[in-house]
Amino acid sequence: MRNLLYAVLVGLVGAGIIHILVLMLVPELSERDAWSRLAMASDLYRMTPLEAETGGQPVVKSVDPLFLAVACRFDLREGMVQLKAPGKAPFWSVSIYDRNGHNIYSFNDHSATNATLDAVALTPAQMLEVRRQLPDDLDGSIFVETPIGEGVIVLRAFVPDESWRPAVSQFLRQSSCELKEL
Amino acid sequence: MLKRAMLTLIALVIAIGGGAASVWYALHVQKGAGAIGVGSWTAFPDIGTPQADPYTNARVAREGVLALGRAEGLAFVAEHDSGGRPLTKECTYRLEGHLPIARFWTLYAADRSLDVIKTGKSRPAALQSYQVVREPDNSVRITASRHPAPGNWLLTAGSGAMYFVLTFYDTPIASSTGLSGIELPRIVRSGCDA
Repeated sequence: MRNLLYAVLVGLVGAGIIHILVLMLVPELSERDAWSRLAMASDLYRMTPLEAETGGQPVVKSVDPLFLAVACRFDLREGMVQLKAPGKAPFWSVSIYDRNGHNIYSFNDHSATNATLDAVALTPAQMLEVRRQLPDDLDGSIFVETPIGEGVIVLRAFVPDESWRPAVSQFLRQSSCELKEL
Repeated sequence: MLKRAMLTLIALVIAIGGGAASVWYALHVQKGAGAIGVGSWTAFPDIGTPQADPYTNARVAREGVLALGRAEGLAFVAEHDSGGRPLTKECTYRLEGHLPIARFWTLYAADRSLDVIKTGKSRPAALQSYQVVREPDNSVRITASRHPAPGNWLLTAGSGAMYFVLTFYDTPIASSTGLSGIELPRIVRSGCDA
């Protein structure tokens, strides 16, 4: 009886250890996180709609039904990434996520010049290079300095009602996500 | 010898089974660490940030969530009415009260996975702040029902458990200090289909 009690006690302590181990490993090993799902849907630097337009499962759940969203994956080790969208939308916002889906930085149309989206994500080292010689086409860009490698950029736009849907999806279709080498 | 093997087996089964089951349980309950409750509404301001706790991190990784950033907005979820009863699609609810400052907000009725309810009609189960009519004191009154209602009507459909998701965009409450002392609408059950 004492032995049984001892075994149960050891089991419970082990359960605690395994609980912590599994919890820490889930983000590392998950194949269902946002990055992996996007990787299955498209390449790096390709803007991908998050909604399933054909009625299938959405690539990544973007939750709010009054929003449309596109996302692209990037890798800052290859160079900076420039996000651009000509045209206007009633409200748009951009979030930059790291490989684990953590929101590193976000901003919306009130932060942009003329409410037009033009942003560059880059590492502090690349920022130093850019400061030395600012390329002409990055003149009005918002610079987001972040010490990450791989990541995801999501552009969300508000669809106030159905009549806005064509215009807003056009805005998102025209957005681009481009690798910029120094 | 056999007894010792049995005891080891018991310890292992409890460790592995118990450890895995407790993680599964922790990731499947709606409320988690880091939740902030205002009346019937719950928000997770830390979800998807590097400051989030390990449980939230694991949930983000498993479900492939890309959470809203601080400059984007903050979502509140309600699963109970103000009387503490679970929300169901069969019932009619009145949402009434003041809302915190934001550029705009959206409200939608959701199912268990927090996807918007499919109404099967061209009217979605969603409303936004530019569409609603306000009371003289700037508060709002919204009726969520399967049947048409005067005033602001949030269409719902189907049967079973329901959630309301209220998201504020470009709002000062998304910063963690802005959350103290805010007011969100009450959810009053006003009748049910038999």
